[in-house]
Amino acid sequence: MSTPDGSRSTFRRSVAVVWRTLRSMRTAIILLLMLAAASAVGSLLPQLPNSPERVAAYQVDHVVWGTFFSTAGFFDVFGSWWFGLITGLLFVSLVACLLPRSRALWRAARARPIQARELEAFPSFAERRVTAAPDAAIAGAMKVLRRKRYRVELDPGRAAAAAEKGFLREIGSLAFHWAFLVLLVAVIVGKGTGYVGRATIVEGQGWVDARLNYDGDLRTGRFFSGGFSGTGITLVDFEDAYRDTGIPMDFHSHLQLFNPDGSYGRDADVRINHPAVFNGIRIFQYGFGWAAMMQVHEGDRVLFDGPVVLGQDTPAGENPLAQPWVGVIKLPSLRPQQAVVLELFPDAEAYFRSLQTGVPQPMTQANAPFIRYQVWKGRLLDASQSGLDTRFMHATTSGVLGRDWTVDLDRGCAISGPDGAALTSVAGVACPDAGGPAALTMSFPELRQYSRLQISRDATIPYVLAAAILIVLGLLPALYVSRRKVWVRARPDGTGSIVQVGGFALQRKDRFDEEFAGLVDAVVAAAGTPATEPAAAVSP
Amino acid sequence: MSTAEWARLSSDAFNVALFSYIAAMVVSFAYLAFRRDRLHTVATVIGVVGLVANGLSILARGIAAGRTPWGNMYEYSSLLTFLIVLGYLWIVEARGKVRTVGGFVYAMAVLTMAMAVSFFYVGPTALMPALNSYWRQIHVTSMIVASSLLGVGCLFTIVYLLKLASERRGVAKLQGQIPPPIMGAAIDTSDPSVPPDYAAGADEPVGSADVGPRRIGLPPSATLDGLAYTFIRFGFPVWTFGVICGAIWAQQTWGRYWGWDPKETWSFITWVIFAGYLHARATSGWKGTRAAIVALIGFVSLLITYYAVNLWIAGLHSYST
Repeated sequence: MSTPDGSRSTFRRSVAVVWRTLRSMRTAIILLLMLAAASAVGSLLPQLPNSPERVAAYQVDHVVWGTFFSTAGFFDVFGSWWFGLITGLLFVSLVACLLPRSRALWRAARARPIQARELEAFPSFAERRVTAAPDAAIAGAMKVLRRKRYRVELDPGRAAAAAEKGFLREIGSLAFHWAFLVLLVAVIVGKGTGYVGRATIVEGQGWVDARLNYDGDLRTGRFFSGGFSGTGITLVDFEDAYRDTGIPMDFHSHLQLFNPDGSYGRDADVRINHPAVFNGIRIFQYGFGWAAMMQVHEGDRVLFDGPVVLGQDTPAGENPLAQPWVGVIKLPSLRPQQAVVLELFPDAEAYFRSLQTGVPQPMTQANAPFIRYQVWKGRLLDASQSGLDTRFMHATTSGVLGRDWTVDLDRGCAISGPDGAALTSVAGVACPDAGGPAALTMSFPELRQYSRLQISRDATIPYVLAAAILIVLGLLPALYVSRRKVWVRARPDGTGSIVQVGGFALQRKDRFDEEFAGLVDAVVAAAGTPATEPAAAVSP
Repeated sequence: MSTAEWARLSSDAFNVALFSYIAAMVVSFAYLAFRRDRLHTVATVIGVVGLVANGLSILARGIAAGRTPWGNMYEYSSLLTFLIVLGYLWIVEARGKVRTVGGFVYAMAVLTMAMAVSFFYVGPTALMPALNSYWRQIHVTSMIVASSLLGVGCLFTIVYLLKLASERRGVAKLQGQIPPPIMGAAIDTSDPSVPPDYAAGADEPVGSADVGPRRIGLPPSATLDGLAYTFIRFGFPVWTFGVICGAIWAQQTWGRYWGWDPKETWSFITWVIFAGYLHARATSGWKGTRAAIVALIGFVSLLITYYAVNLWIAGLHSYST
């Protein structure tokens, strides 16, 4: 039964069936609706790339469903194989549809308008008597049609002409669809080869674009080659401004940018909505906070000297600006190991006002800042500066220090710095033998701000933007221009001639009637209306 | 006037607008039922009063807050209502000469406003710095305009489906008669079940075989379908433009033009569904009812994009709840 020839033709036929199915509009509509449904799942369930902690919570709360969703890829819809499959099929369907259409448009644009025989059969038709001879009447009609931006073709040998208009519709539609395709490719390439991460830089300090220097949440694309730009960024100064109500108004990082070879590039001002672009990377203002410059000495030995980046753990519904800032200094070289947990109140005045009034006051400016500290002793579980695991530690001394103070960490009292008023205002305790030798001291010489910047590289942004613009530009003619075809012919009648005009519109047919009537009037006017005879008009 | 007085004026005008729309809705439905021209005039006058009050409310809100008054969901809803009613009065009533669907439009306006006061009200305040960009103005304005256009289009789709069903019932009824009358030509005007204005011609085409004592006087289904298409076809490019502006703004603010944030995802879903609708209209076998159903799915998606995302799904766009 199945000869080699026959099987090949069966194969070919099934390929043709698949191709035809993919080309059909029905498939495209169904794929579009599937894409919508898949995206809906992605927005209703927590997604791993955006909120892994909520995914974990969901899996704990709903064990069965959680496992099922996880296996089906519902927690990473936009990275799942089936989302890729839908997009891929849509892609193929789009190309399968666009290639023949583009070729047809190319051919139609080069072909001349085709002549017609029976003008009476067209949806719009009119017949008028004019004074001009047939050839002159057709020449006049062609002029009228050209003025109305029709493409016009004379039928040689007969007094007739064909005209058409509205290629822009198909051009717009194809531009829209091709641009959509380009947009998809550009997005995939751009996101796939790029990366996004966050950098925390303290005022006066520098940072280099390399994998290890990012805060924990660096995200690289699937096809990322691993090459970071090596750009250097120094935060010269950070400014924040607030309204009287304490609502943030502006954040502003003044940066110096350096080339990968270390040479100075340029200065840049980065603020919300105003990123800087340098050396292929984009730098955005992401966040900010306080960094306490701290020193810890054991006798004369320096154990710690540098900024402690302070963060916040704000309960929901609270104004973060009214909350203290928390950080930790870890001293792994001591035996037993020690850690000092710091709690900064940047604006002492605002803090005391909130204690008096009971209403939390935003602490937006550095105003007599002070730090509450708590010393822990025991075993440090990790050396990072973020967070402290106190499972193998116990709390020892605690106390307060203001700017320019030095405190004795073993006894929890102030050795130098504060005058009496400052000491009592923050309930600090002066060491009884102030000025004497101390084993472990901590001082707080300076309070700086840090800026958290978002660094990203996405090479295809200009293409994405261009495609997006083309989408809108193509959409308008695709939806609003209509294709129209008009034919004119004339035959001699006494001294003048009888002109027939026929035509139709493929879209927006309701509007064509009016246009057609105007066209007929113009054609007749160009060929001259006989003075006495009433025009014989036929129009369905 | 002080800021507080402007704010007061804004919320008073809002209430005037809300109650005007409620009244206009009731009178419009009464017109639909009784077909008295005076009722239509009254409905239009009340509608215009509501529109003016609505506009005044938006203006006063802007002065009170010292910025363009579309910074949160309450303000969007107010502007959305204004555009819906303006679009209806101008495009449908004044230009399209279709008078019978006003009640549905006012109902939509009332729902939008009621949702705004009940769930989204916030006083006129300054914005977070991230919301301060001229792309915000463009993005938000086009999203509101597009939402109102698509919303009105979908409303017409719903009315279209209702009308289509009633027309089909009418045809079935005529076909059941013996001998079957030639459609439109053989209606017995002495039959008491045929309403009087049918015999008088009214604005019904002869082909619409719509008989029965409880006939609602809607325009023929083809007109409604055309209106729905006009609005959605207008709304779709505006929506596209708005989403793109949103992406540009997101690029500036968050450093990525697209991040599958819930509002982004849902605006994409809505876009995809309405793209499906436009394709369906151009496909044989999908015209009419099937395309209308796609539009209805789009309407649900539009409502989710507009409301549900802000109310129930956390994301970067949940700024005002």
